[in-house]
Amino acid sequence: MKKIMILSTILVIGFGLTSCGGTSENEFDTSKTITVYTRDTSSGTRAGFMSGIDFKEAAEDNSVLVDGFVTKDNTGILTAMITDEYGIGYISLASLNNTVKGLLFEGVEPNIVNVMNNTYELKRPFNYVLRADGDFDSDEEEQIAKAFIAFIGTIDGADIIADKGAIPLDSTETWDDIKANHSICSGDNSSVTIKFGGSDSIEKIAKALTEAFVPKCGDFVPEHDHTGSSDGFKRTQGSEKDGDSAKHIGFASRPFKDTEQGQDGTQGQLAWDAIVAIVHLNNHLNDVTAEDLKNIFSGTYSKWEDITE
Amino acid sequence: MNSIKHKGDSIILTQKKNKKEIIDSVVRLLFLITTILSASFIILIIIFISIKGIVPFVTDNNGIGRVDIITFLTGRVWLTGTAFQSNLYSVGFIIINTLYIAFLALMISMPIGVLTALFIAKVAPKKIAEFLRTVVELLASIPSIVYGLFGSGVILVFVYNLAEAFNIQSKGGNSVMATVLVLALMTLPTITAISEVSIRSVGKDIELGSLALGATKTQTNFKVILTSAKSGIFASAILGIGRALGEATAVSLVAGNAKSGPSLGIFDITSTLTSTMLEGLKETTGIDYDIRFSVGIILMIVILITNLILNFIKRKVGNVDVK
Amino acid sequence: MSNKQKIIDIFQQALTYLAASVGAITLFMIIFFVFSNGYKLLDFGLLVNDYHAKFYNGGIEDEISYSNTIRPNNLDDEVFYSQKWGIGLKDDNDREGNPIIIVDFIADDSPLKNIYDKNNEEYEPLLLETGHLLSKISFYDKQTALTKYGAEYMIEALNSSDTFREIVYSSLGGGIRGSIITTFYLIGMTMAIALPIGIFTAIYLNEFAPKNKITSLLRSLIETLTGVPSIIFGLMGLAVFVPLTIQMTEATSANIISGSLTLAVILLPVIIRSTEESLKIVPDSFRSASLALGANHTQTTFKVVLPSAFPGIMTGTLLAVGRVIGESAALIFAIGTAVKDDISIFGKSTTLSVHIWSLMKDEPANIELASTIAVIILMIVLLLNIIVKFISKKLIKDLY
Repeated sequence: MKKIMILSTILVIGFGLTSCGGTSENEFDTSKTITVYTRDTSSGTRAGFMSGIDFKEAAEDNSVLVDGFVTKDNTGILTAMITDEYGIGYISLASLNNTVKGLLFEGVEPNIVNVMNNTYELKRPFNYVLRADGDFDSDEEEQIAKAFIAFIGTIDGADIIADKGAIPLDSTETWDDIKANHSICSGDNSSVTIKFGGSDSIEKIAKALTEAFVPKCGDFVPEHDHTGSSDGFKRTQGSEKDGDSAKHIGFASRPFKDTEQGQDGTQGQLAWDAIVAIVHLNNHLNDVTAEDLKNIFSGTYSKWEDITE
Repeated sequence: MNSIKHKGDSIILTQKKNKKEIIDSVVRLLFLITTILSASFIILIIIFISIKGIVPFVTDNNGIGRVDIITFLTGRVWLTGTAFQSNLYSVGFIIINTLYIAFLALMISMPIGVLTALFIAKVAPKKIAEFLRTVVELLASIPSIVYGLFGSGVILVFVYNLAEAFNIQSKGGNSVMATVLVLALMTLPTITAISEVSIRSVGKDIELGSLALGATKTQTNFKVILTSAKSGIFASAILGIGRALGEATAVSLVAGNAKSGPSLGIFDITSTLTSTMLEGLKETTGIDYDIRFSVGIILMIVILITNLILNFIKRKVGNVDVK
Repeated sequence: MSNKQKIIDIFQQALTYLAASVGAITLFMIIFFVFSNGYKLLDFGLLVNDYHAKFYNGGIEDEISYSNTIRPNNLDDEVFYSQKWGIGLKDDNDREGNPIIIVDFIADDSPLKNIYDKNNEEYEPLLLETGHLLSKISFYDKQTALTKYGAEYMIEALNSSDTFREIVYSSLGGGIRGSIITTFYLIGMTMAIALPIGIFTAIYLNEFAPKNKITSLLRSLIETLTGVPSIIFGLMGLAVFVPLTIQMTEATSANIISGSLTLAVILLPVIIRSTEESLKIVPDSFRSASLALGANHTQTTFKVVLPSAFPGIMTGTLLAVGRVIGESAALIFAIGTAVKDDISIFGKSTTLSVHIWSLMKDEPANIELASTIAVIILMIVLLLNIIVKFISKKLIKDLY
């Protein structure tokens, strides 16, 4: 009995300890220091964000950023803004939800319409790369891969890209219009496997595109193995193109580097992804300029009161 | 008649004995081979990462220049200059961070883990013990990314509010403290499970002897049993610190991944060798990719030295043979 | 017993309870966290469904006879209904948290019952049914109705059109059947490799090895394995085991065998350590008694020492199984991240925790489904735990 008493007392104390310090509903205190959240130097989102706020040197150089910045991934930054009242970070538009506040950029609201009409300028490209001509195991593989790229450029492809939260490029044709150019798709391709890889930011879109394209092209088998932007080129035309994890089509969520220029006509863009600066819901800030963001990320503004709307 | 039979028996016996000895030595050889096989994997791994990790120090990295090994080991900023164009990498502060965090994590998980093990093995009623044992085994199977989720969903909020209560503005809770708490949680199942086995392995005679000499049950538990189980408890510490030093996924979600340091304040953001190694590993190329394997070499050396020290202490203090 | 001793006793006793309860509470908090995030998506369909949805592209004839069925009374309020097309649609979320439009009702005289497969040269009818997901309807003259605009827009668009260019629908995918099968394959194969090697090594170190520098070196080398981060194991698997299995089997890429080999190496120190600890429990008197009775070292080890150490070895095995199920970083390299429905041990596929990993890599991450899979992992481990305990109890009973 005594033991049970002790045990239950301890249980209560334990719970008390762990649940102490519930959320405090303080007023937003502008004299507090800004906590800056960023992606790491290899991130395509970071490259897009930094060049969008005219702070290109910070894309791959940490030393020009404010001291004591926090490095996190996309989800990490999003969840941090739910807790940290005095933080600021940036995420992909597709991830934005109502648990955080997405800031207007130069007075323009971040949404698909504004990205498509080029008024919202904080964005990055989504690119693809094919294997070089003739470097496929079979003719069928090459033709299906090329048909897939053609499909991406149609209205039908654009619909799917838009459905998954990215912003497609302008297109005027439907798949029905160009179907005749890709005779491979009218046959049975159920024995052909097409391998997709590269950027994991594009994985969702790539999967949706193949799901839609499979029945249009003789039920070929898509295999998705997305491991990162640099593998996109590496495994199609780069050093690992003949390795065990070789791919037919790779994706990169950033512009291809100088070292990643392959054969002409094998690389291109499939969509845009908008990037949004986000803060805690309690924050009074609604609208930022590129200059504000640059000042925040470089440390010129260290406190929230430094920013004047 | 009788004597002949006897003679025959003894021949069979010697033959049997010979056969037994042969089996014995074959089995012994087999076991030795598996042991050498098990031990050789670490060498394979060290060779593998050394080949990759040595590249930045011996080649000019496509015109960027060699990485200076002294700067690498002693510096206080991860990368000075632009990625892909600079060779000024260093992990000095990260080594300190890593050891500091692993030490603090073990300071929390060791007492809790060992006492939990004692509770399960000696104090708790059988049903409760069985139940807790199952819980511990369940926790060992939770993927580290889920610990990371728990860390970023619960522990970061807790640390953020705790810091606020002390009137400190933490960086969203990302801190030494959050990392230590997550690692302590992750090492707890390992420490508890292994310590429990070794506590149970303490001979009944030692325990009864202590009780017979007039010691109370609690005294026996703390003074005799824990002392006798030392070697196993140290073993659990070695496994635990291994996990604390080698864990990456969960740590990178709560550490804040500081790029300079060392970070000694418990509410400061920090970084560890593994989180540095993992960050962007899949997205990056060139020197920025190779250098991560150099971090791997450093990590292996750190682990090796820690193990040697712990083994040394284990030999010094754990001399009570509980076999 | 002195008063002071009594106080110390109580204090120490309390310390044990405190530690055990702190341990237990935090452990429960984690389990609670996982459950509270994940229970919503937990259903039987998740376990048995395929991951890949089957998609259909439908076209419609030029001559359309519209439906006359009025909205049935039993439809939910949230269902949007088009009398012209005889179809009721509803907004929902799939298992990965993405919005979907689901066919809630389709009338018998609906023109959508007469669609044909657009991708077939010959005429082949398609069967749109309740439960299918409508992913898009494209029109000749206006914006495509997509999932993300919702069911209401899709119905409005249908009502204001006399025909359409293409309708795309699919079955509900996102099941984890394939990942569950792979997980079991991996557990079985990894254990088949790691258990004998690990147990033999532990026996050698504890029963046979001379006490010298070489033995302690071997021991240190094995213990060092525990600190190697998973990702390094994975890269080693990719560099060593993947080419090895490609050469020796029919595999052409990373595969389940190379994954098991990699995992076996990761598990060795855990199995060795826990086996050794449990071999130490066995009193020396057992060994001497057995040897004195004329048994040789091998017989003593297998017939006397191992059975007595059995429960401890079981604990180690369960810890190891837990690690197999929980490991992701190494497997990403050693088997890849391609989620499959048809599993072959010579091909790529994903385990449950790699499945979690890929969900967490998504932008945005799907925490709910990740937690649901974590719940399933916990349940599998619990099940294995109960089975193993049952077996070991039975074995111990038979032995003594």
